[in-house]
Order: sequence, then structure tokens, then C-alpha cells
Amino acid sequence: MSTFQIASPAPRRRGGRARRIRGALAFYGFISPWLIGTLLLTAFPVGYAVYMSFTDWNGMTSFMPWVGLSNYQQVFTSGDTLSALSKTLILCAIVVPITIAGSLFLAVLLNKRMRGRTILRTLIYLPAVVPPVASALIWKVIFDKNSGAANRILAIFHVDPLDWLNGQLAFVVMIVVLLWGVGAGIIINLAALQTVPAEQLEAAKMDGANAFRSFRHVTLPAISPILLFQTVLVTITTLQTFVPAILLSPIAGSNVYTNIPPANDVYMVDVYEQYFDYSRYGMGSAMLVVFFAVILLMTGLIFKFLGRSVFYAVDPSESGKG
Amino acid sequence: MALHDVRTDPETTTRTPRPAPRPPAAPIRRRRERNRIAFAILVLVALLVTAPFVELLISALTPGSEIGADRWLPSMFRWANISDAIDYIPYWDLTRNSVFLATLSGVLTTFSSAITGYGFARMRGPGKKFLFGVLIMTMMVPPIVTLIPTYLLFSRYGLVGTYLPWVFWGAAGTPYTIFLYRQFFSSMPKELEEAAIIDGAGRIRIFVQIFLPLSRPLLVTAFVLAFNAVWGDFVAPDLFLNSSNTTLAVGVSSGYTNQAGYPLYNLLASGAMLYVIPVVLLFLFAQRSYVRGFANSGLKG
Repeated sequence: MSTFQIASPAPRRRGGRARRIRGALAFYGFISPWLIGTLLLTAFPVGYAVYMSFTDWNGMTSFMPWVGLSNYQQVFTSGDTLSALSKTLILCAIVVPITIAGSLFLAVLLNKRMRGRTILRTLIYLPAVVPPVASALIWKVIFDKNSGAANRILAIFHVDPLDWLNGQLAFVVMIVVLLWGVGAGIIINLAALQTVPAEQLEAAKMDGANAFRSFRHVTLPAISPILLFQTVLVTITTLQTFVPAILLSPIAGSNVYTNIPPANDVYMVDVYEQYFDYSRYGMGSAMLVVFFAVILLMTGLIFKFLGRSVFYAVDPSESGKG
Repeated sequence: MALHDVRTDPETTTRTPRPAPRPPAAPIRRRRERNRIAFAILVLVALLVTAPFVELLISALTPGSEIGADRWLPSMFRWANISDAIDYIPYWDLTRNSVFLATLSGVLTTFSSAITGYGFARMRGPGKKFLFGVLIMTMMVPPIVTLIPTYLLFSRYGLVGTYLPWVFWGAAGTPYTIFLYRQFFSSMPKELEEAAIIDGAGRIRIFVQIFLPLSRPLLVTAFVLAFNAVWGDFVAPDLFLNSSNTTLAVGVSSGYTNQAGYPLYNLLASGAMLYVIPVVLLFLFAQRSYVRGFANSGLKG
């Protein structure tokens, strides 16, 4: 291979127009699976949802009655939607900070050299690989009013059994289910901690900074882009909470959707009900479009604040351009 | 070689002891003490998050008559619960469906993502930068947003109740996996394909014979991620499939009820355990691939 190294810079520039066109065709040929797939399976369905959102369609009639923006007006004024929205935001306000701070804290601890670290990391990470369906079912077994372990623990403190899966408490159980997977963030944070320049940490120590101060002034600024990125990711994931909300209902059979405790009636559950319980396809679509817009906005914001650097991280061809 | 960069891969960093920065006249004892506190906290957290698994195991082996009894351990472990759980729902059929669908999806996604990732990494064309921006955007779009409209569209064309949607999703690749491949292929030296071009090899041959074999570690990661995604998915099979061809995720979450619709907790726990064990084993054996998959999600500022 070394023979070609000398010759390599030359042929690149000589490419004529025909060659560039052939190159472009090859490029589009290679990315065509994704490009076609995205057009058909993402852009088209989203476009369809946008169209439905301007109609009053119930899925039965052959035509879709046009209603303009009235569905959107309802998204922001209807009591049901607003309460679902506020529940979802409360969920985010609780789950996101705990997940981010908790996983960072655990990552910092796991970054210390100690015996058994690999096993501890594996155990703490394990819940993150459990599929959402299974974690909902596991916690449902634990929080059952009559047979669950949660009430047995309460009994130790002489507290009467609580009906966890009905009423307001179902919301607490949903939070527990979501927090159980805190380990997913640990791995990202552990990797992030390796990027903190060791010289700077050492310099801070030389200057007499204690562990907290060097964390606050060296580590935190170094990993803050990754933390911000993670915050957005976790927020997006939490906003679309759906499976734990529906599967925690105490009645499990095929009718899960009709027995969701009102406390767990989060945004996506409401979307689902609009479509499949009330056949209000227009309303459901409007809610999806609003959700989609919020996510695009959030993604756009991290692009703006972090640039593309977080994404282009390890790419040599981009790193020179700063 | 970004993916193998020691600094970015937590797996390797922990194995190779880094020379710890040692301040002069260090209060070593104090540091050791602090590590002991850290160790204690970690053990506590590890116990806390693994306790549900233990409780699941206990519930799974509790005899039906002792459910709801005020005790931590049943008088005996009833192993027959497991075979009862298998018989109560069409467990083997559901498992076969899950394995088939997850494998199909995994193979398709892995190769299709590799092809697209290669295109983004090693080729030029007008609009490439823009399209890559679109890719990043779609990475952030949760699948649930497109799922219901896709379902309505597919039901119009009679694609609901078949595995065809998974073929389409698989063939389209996964934005995140494409991104991983793109990063991987970008990090390889130019000489790799220039030599082959001079030898007269075409683009496809270069990809198949040179780049694809080199990306083997990533192939495993991509397959494991895709397999798990389908194995763990509840919403899509619940919407798109029916009781005759649905997956284990749906079967386990809706099958273990009595006549009145209330869950049979011991069988539900057994079923959930049988459903989770393959995922946990896959994780333990392919831990490195998992870590690589997660750790590179947008690293380095």
C-alpha cells in the first residue's frame, strides 16, 4: 500500500465532470435504502398526519372533512389535552433531573479505581437492558396491592397497604419504572469522564482544589456538552412515555388500553385514545404534529448551542474545519 | 480508529490501569477512605436495582395458593410454574415469531445501515451535508410519532397483519446505526480504496470485499441493537400484528389473566422472567457491543 501513498494526492483533483456525476450517482446509490426508506416511512406518514390534522376524519368515511386549524386550537384549549400535557411535563420535571444527576453521580463513583468495579457496573447497568414491557410487568408484580413486595415493606413500618396501581399512586409507580433504567446514562457519562484532560485535573489538585472544586471547575465544564445532549435525549424519551403507562394498569388482559389509571393519562396515551378509542383521527394527528414540532425545535436548539460538534465527534475529515 | 480509541471506550479504559495522577504528599489515606464510601454507595445502589430481579424470581416460583400471603419466601419453590407459564400462552409460537422477526430485522438493518453509512463516509455528492443533517434529525424523532400514521397508511394497503412492515423498516436502516457506521468508515485511511480503484475494483466490490469485513465488530453491535429493539418492542407488534402472528412481548403482557381479567401474578412473573432471560444473557455475552453502541452516541464536545 505504501507505493500508492506517493501517487494518492494526484488523481483526486483530476476528476472531470463525468467522473463527478458518476461519483454522485454512486453516492445516491449507496444511501438509497435509507433515503427511500425515510421518504416512505418517515416523511410520508408525517405528511399524512399533517394532512389528517386539518380534517375531522373518523377513519370510516371515504372523504376527510376539512376543518382548518380547529384541531390545533383544541390541542391547546381542551381540558383533557392540557391535563395530559401537564402530567407529561411534571413527569419530565421529575425524571429528567434525577436521571441526569443520578447517572453522572454513579459514573463519577464508578470511575474511581476499586475492586469489583466491573461487576458493580454490570449490575447497575442491567435494568437498562430490560425491555420496557418487562420492566412494567416486573414493577406491576412488586406494586400489586395484595401480593406485592412494596406493601410488605410498608408493613414492616406498620403502614397500611396502599393501592399503588390505582389512583394517583400509579403515577409514582410509573416514575419508579422510568428511573430504574438510570444505568443507560452511566455508560455515556463514564465515556465522557475519560475525555476530561488529566493534566487539568492534576493542575487543579496542585493548586489545592478539593475533589468537589475540581469536579465543579474542571470536569463539569469539560463534559457539559455531553450532559446537555443527554438532557435533550432523556427529555425526548420521557415525553413519549407510553408503554409503562398502559401496562401498569391492574387489569392486564387484551383490554389494557381501556383500563389505564387516569393518573397515567400522559400525552402519548391521550394521542392513542384520540385515535383508537374516540376515532378522532384529526385530533390525534394534530397532537402528534405538535409533539413532532416540539422535538424538532429541541433538536434544533442543541444544534444551535452545541453546533454539530457533538455529532461529528470522531470524524477526522470534519475536525480540521473547527 | 475512533471507535477503538482507548479514551472513548470505557471497556478498555477500565481494563488498562491509567497512571493515577498522584499529588505530592497526597493524603492517600483520606482518598482511600473516600473510595470506600464510594464503594459502599455503589454496592447499595447495585442491591437496590437488582432487588426487583430477585423479587421477580421469587414471585415466579410462588405457588398460586400462596400469592398474597404475608411472607417474603413461599413455603416451597414451585418449579412447575415455569412449565405452566409456557403452557398458558402459546409460548413457543410467540417466541418463534419474536426470534424470526428480530433476526429478520437485525440482518436487514445491519446491512442496509452499513451501505448507507459507507455512502455518507466515503463518497461525495451534491446535497450530502444537508442529507446528513436530515439523518441526524431523524435520529431524534421517536418512532412513536410515525407509528400510528404508518399503521393507518399500511392498513389501507393491506399490509397490516403481515411481517412486511418489518422488512421495510429493516431495509431502510436505523439512523443511529447508520451514524455509527459512518463514523467507523470515516476513520479509515484513504489508501484503502485508492489501491483497489487502481486495481480496477468497482464501488460495490470495494465495499463488500474491503470495508464490510473490517466493520465486523460494528456488525455485531448493530445486530444486537436491532435484535433487542424488536424483541423489546410492544407497541408496533400490538398495532400491526394479530394474535396468530404476534410476538412474545405482546403475549406475555396480555396473556396471563384469569377469567375476570385479573393477572395471575406467579405465571405473569414466570412469563416475564422467560422473556427477560434471553435479553440479559445477550447483554452479558455481548456487553462490549452494547457499550460501544451506547457510549458513542454523540461523544466529545
